[in-house]
Amino acid sequence: MLSMLQAAPPPNPGTWAGSEPPPGVIARILGAVWDAMVTTTPADYVFSAFAILAIVAAIATVTRKNPVVAAVCLVASFFCVAICYVMLSATFLAALQVLVYAGAMMVLFVFVVMVLDVDDKGAADQPRTRSSRRGLYYGFAAVVIGILTWIFWGTVTRQFSTTGREVPSDFGTAQSVGRELFGPALFAFEAVSLLLLAAVIGAVVVARSRRERLKEALALGFSEDDMHIAGLGAADTEVARGDLTDEQVRRPHPAMDFGQPSAGGHEGGN
Amino acid sequence: MVSLISPLILAFALFVIGMVGVLVRRNVLIMLMSVELMLNGANVALITFSRLWGDLDGQVFSMFVIAVAAAEAAVGLAIVVSIFRTRASADVDQLTTLRD
Repeated sequence: MLSMLQAAPPPNPGTWAGSEPPPGVIARILGAVWDAMVTTTPADYVFSAFAILAIVAAIATVTRKNPVVAAVCLVASFFCVAICYVMLSATFLAALQVLVYAGAMMVLFVFVVMVLDVDDKGAADQPRTRSSRRGLYYGFAAVVIGILTWIFWGTVTRQFSTTGREVPSDFGTAQSVGRELFGPALFAFEAVSLLLLAAVIGAVVVARSRRERLKEALALGFSEDDMHIAGLGAADTEVARGDLTDEQVRRPHPAMDFGQPSAGGHEGGN
Repeated sequence: MVSLISPLILAFALFVIGMVGVLVRRNVLIMLMSVELMLNGANVALITFSRLWGDLDGQVFSMFVIAVAAAEAAVGLAIVVSIFRTRASADVDQLTTLRD
């Protein structure tokens, strides 16, 4: 890794013309690209096509202003990555990718976006509230990307112009992955099922509305002094006395009232 | 048979795009989607190295990553929904408290 940095500046710039270029970073990268080109197979073309599509869709996900469009681009990216999994003989993972990512999670995303009624207007027109942080974010991103690129080229140019070991024909099928999953990885599998259960319960608890919590607290017989147990302040008890209209229930807590949201209540955007 | 350079480039690209999305965007929904992209990039790398060594452990681990990503999306979106109830904003710069 260090030799890559040291080899980068040519020792004597005057001897560049007419002589062999020093074996620096550029030469290694070009060599790796050349190796990849001469060993290209039809599978490589298929993989590259869908990998490029996945990257384009990922860039679209990050750059779109409308979250619905971004979610659809993310689905496209996940589908293309699933095809790349097939080319890497991970057929079961490809099916899982389509079912879990492109199916369940994206439905969840699109559903939430629709429920929240987010659009591309609103915050996009406002300047960033603390714009000095922005340089910090970009700087951090640049540093991490630089480190990743350095490690990445250091490994890629050395050893990965290979197609890997010979694998049996059932490599990556549901049967072989399942044997691994319910054999050595059984404990981790059970732990993950517990994690998913905890996540489901947590999601339901967190996403409850003030009205639902108020109803539950009243149904459990909490007195007005005990409303803090349900996360409800003294201001809610007067709501509890009267009829539960939407406006009363959705009103922010006095201590947390930061004024009116922008017109229409839409703040999607950048 | 795929040369294993291109999957690594794909994993790298997906991870970096996701990271840039998390750091630069302000919409919390887009940030969650970018986190999914980063996890997906990690999955591609895991499956690539699983293929390199002819060992299924990488694919099993990648399955666990998918499960954790699903849990993360569920909890994250629940938090977003509960924030939207009182704030009506997806701008993370304006989010300083989880209470309503």
